[in-house]
Amino acid sequence: MSVEEKVKEIIAKIVHVDKSILTRESTFKDIKADSLDMVQALVAIEDEFDIEIPDEDAQKLQNFGDFIDYVESRVAEKEKS
Amino acid sequence: MSFEGKLALVTGSGRGIGKAISLQLASQGADIIVNFFRRREAAEQTARDIESMGVKAEIIRANVGDPAKLDEMFDTIEAKFGHLDILINNAASGVGRSALDIDAKAWDWTMNINARAVLLCAQRAVKLMGEGGKIVNISSLGSAFVWPTYAAVGVSKAALEALTRYLAIELAPKGICVNAVAASAVDTEALKFYIKEGLVKDTRQATPVGRMVTPEDVAKVVAFLCSEEAFMIRGQTIIVDGGTSVAPFVLPEEGGR
Repeated sequence: MSVEEKVKEIIAKIVHVDKSILTRESTFKDIKADSLDMVQALVAIEDEFDIEIPDEDAQKLQNFGDFIDYVESRVAEKEKS
Repeated sequence: MSFEGKLALVTGSGRGIGKAISLQLASQGADIIVNFFRRREAAEQTARDIESMGVKAEIIRANVGDPAKLDEMFDTIEAKFGHLDILINNAASGVGRSALDIDAKAWDWTMNINARAVLLCAQRAVKLMGEGGKIVNISSLGSAFVWPTYAAVGVSKAALEALTRYLAIELAPKGICVNAVAASAVDTEALKFYIKEGLVKDTRQATPVGRMVTPEDVAKVVAFLCSEEAFMIRGQTIIVDGGTSVAPFVLPEEGGR
């Protein structure tokens, strides 16, 4: 499964929404995720990929597209090191 | 009161009260383990501030609400230092909802970080403490008084205070002092967040003393409880609120001034 698919699957499971509504343009706000959903999604994704997503970075990401790109770049960084 | 040569772990010490406690203990000579979960840059700044006082700082990232991550943190401390003198259970999280809106997920998240982690951290810390260890748990007035949307956190803090009493008695024969410090609304980023989200009213008005409680006010009491001068204080929750809780009918502007 690609990083994108896995990220979507984790978010969908935590926020209890159908994966198909998670487009690159949509946001946590669009799917009515509260702050606990968001932090739990971040933590689950960190654990899945063994990466760190500090709040300082997470706050800069506008939508799921940005978010997926960010996770992909962190995973790639980790694989390089 | 010197903590020279002592090693302190302060959970959740990137910001707010945890940061102030770290800096207070460091200013009195302690080396500090800065634990953080979400804000790395803030933790790094805390560590730099500690080091500028001529003592050592070590950063460890861990969500203390996750027992596996908590264990990893203590494994690191054990391997790197082999001992611990002071544990400050400060890390806290919470969900701002009324009691009827708290679901199992929100309850567990809050209780796991604010209460269960206090127990699990103490269990691991005791093994690294010789005679004379100190544990201080950070509570809030929400344990005994009601603030809107604070139910989950308030209940978790009540658990923390009860646990403080049990640990104090169980650990007394080991020479380990355990106490708690409860503050009223403290001027931190967390409070600003609650106000911004409309979860609490702007409580940044003065206490009967004439000003708000600061993180430094709390930190100084924590440092006292870590000192030998506080040796016979056990299992207590010391309230730092500028008199607010004993004067519920006194408007701040009337004050005691």
